[in-house]
Amino acid sequence: MNHLITLTMAIYLGGAFLISLLWRENETVAGAAAISFVALSAITSVLLGIEVFTNGSILYFAGGWERPLGIALMLDPLSALFLIMTNVIALLVTIYSAVYMKKYTWTPYFYVLFLIMLAGMNGILISMDIFNIYVFLEVASVASFMLVAFGLRAEELEAAIKYTVMSFIATTMILFAIALIYGFTGTLNIARFMDASAGLTPVHLWFLAGLLLAGFALKAALVPFHSWLPDAHSMAPAPVSAVLSGMFVKVAGLYVIIRVTANIFTNLPQIRILLLLFGALSMVFGGLMAYGQKNIKRLYVYSTISQIGYCAVGLGIGGYLGSLGVLMHFVAQAFSKALLFLNIGAVEYVRGTVESDDLKGLNDTMPVTTLFGSTGMLGIAGVPPMGNFWSKLIIIIAAVKAGYTGIAVLCIVVAVITLGYFLKLQRTVYCNLTESPVKKEAPKTLLVPMGILAFMVFVSGVLLVPGIREHTLDKAVAVMENFSYVDITIGDNR
Amino acid sequence: MILYILIALMFFIGLYGMIAKKNIIKIIIGMNIVGYASNLLFVLLGYKWDGIAPILTEDMSFAYFLEKAVDPLPQALVLTSIVIDLAFVAFLAALAIRLFEKYGTFDIDKIRRLKG
Repeated sequence: MNHLITLTMAIYLGGAFLISLLWRENETVAGAAAISFVALSAITSVLLGIEVFTNGSILYFAGGWERPLGIALMLDPLSALFLIMTNVIALLVTIYSAVYMKKYTWTPYFYVLFLIMLAGMNGILISMDIFNIYVFLEVASVASFMLVAFGLRAEELEAAIKYTVMSFIATTMILFAIALIYGFTGTLNIARFMDASAGLTPVHLWFLAGLLLAGFALKAALVPFHSWLPDAHSMAPAPVSAVLSGMFVKVAGLYVIIRVTANIFTNLPQIRILLLLFGALSMVFGGLMAYGQKNIKRLYVYSTISQIGYCAVGLGIGGYLGSLGVLMHFVAQAFSKALLFLNIGAVEYVRGTVESDDLKGLNDTMPVTTLFGSTGMLGIAGVPPMGNFWSKLIIIIAAVKAGYTGIAVLCIVVAVITLGYFLKLQRTVYCNLTESPVKKEAPKTLLVPMGILAFMVFVSGVLLVPGIREHTLDKAVAVMENFSYVDITIGDNR
Repeated sequence: MILYILIALMFFIGLYGMIAKKNIIKIIIGMNIVGYASNLLFVLLGYKWDGIAPILTEDMSFAYFLEKAVDPLPQALVLTSIVIDLAFVAFLAALAIRLFEKYGTFDIDKIRRLKG
């Protein structure tokens, strides 16, 4: 039964194949097929997640080859958390794009590329072999370049070429690091490399860590590796931005950095200082840049950079509280970021613009959309009942406890800046009364996924309630804290 | 050792092409060179001088095979990596054509409508 962990990825790949083969002429059938494939995959990932959280990790060796030869695929609580989040958000976004993508031509190919991107993301999450992670990362990345350029307008093409060239630099660094890992230790398995790296000199380790961290920080868009992200994410169609900003940056960047720093380089604890530095820079830079943006999508994108900074800071602090903060922030952030991008997509669908100067009095013309948008903004700004408040609080407490008082103060300041730019947006765009408000609400198919996401943003803090936390987040934190890969190297397949 | 230095040289030539050149086509060629350098490094790590193909025949002792056979894994991995490079280059070439249609130039400095 262990091979079932590849099922979510297989459904996406099969779905992409079938749509491109059979239904590429028919938009309606392609959309319905894509929704049903993603729904199937989301249900599968939830079932797999429940199994992993109750009975422990599932390990499978590709093709039935036994250790040490087989390529290890594993679903542990950490990857299960990311897997469930990815597929649930993907399902809501696919339902949303059934209506939203009607204004584009060749939408069946949109679904094909979208499913391939999701397949790559699912593949990253179950791989325990660093070359496998690289391959799936490229599958997801190449699909995402094409999705960014999907509209084929001049600005979208320009954003896509920046994104592609920067991504290629990251790819090269990662491939160099993988080649050197294989040369130094003779293995590509993450678990075996962790044991073998104890024998390497600090110079070798620093070189490898530097290459890997630079490569994946470029994917995660940490400052100073962020320059491609504002263009790429703000120019993509709204559903694509929602997945790229909500999940892709976290899966391709954050999740792999967690694996690299917290697990591979246990022998090099100093790497956390670099993460702390990048994180603090991203927080401040993203927050300040977001303040001056006229284009609302760009504002949200800079906010993404700022919030990824919080995750990196939590990762740099480490320890139980730091890791808990990172995971909680990731969950709350993924829901609210996806919600905000879908929301601005709905505004664009009805009003045809995302410039804050041209949008006035949304509160009167689109009340439901405004309600969901405000929920997302309050969520990211960290207003108490939402999950982001608790995650930021945990990261700040962790920073104080670990002795990084300056970082803690910085976190509070950036939280205030975040609230500041969202309130400014509320003032100029949402609450600015128009003379003759004409009600024109977005279609219901756009509103329902946003409503579900808004509900999720509201209740995501429930993961921290004692009794639920022990069964979900604590298990994932345990993986980040002291991961023993004994399962992979010796022992039974469960 | 000289081979590793040559690969490093090749890598930096490609990097120079990517960073210093303004023409998109030259940037794509620079990317290709960088990709070749990383692939060559990977293959070189598994290579042995006077090595044989990694096929164990019946008249061959296992010790001789271990000593002589080249490591086949890097070669298999590089095949995958070449395919990924191909995807990058094919997509970028298509993108360059589209960009030329919209902007009428390959100069990366003139393709600059996005700011902020």
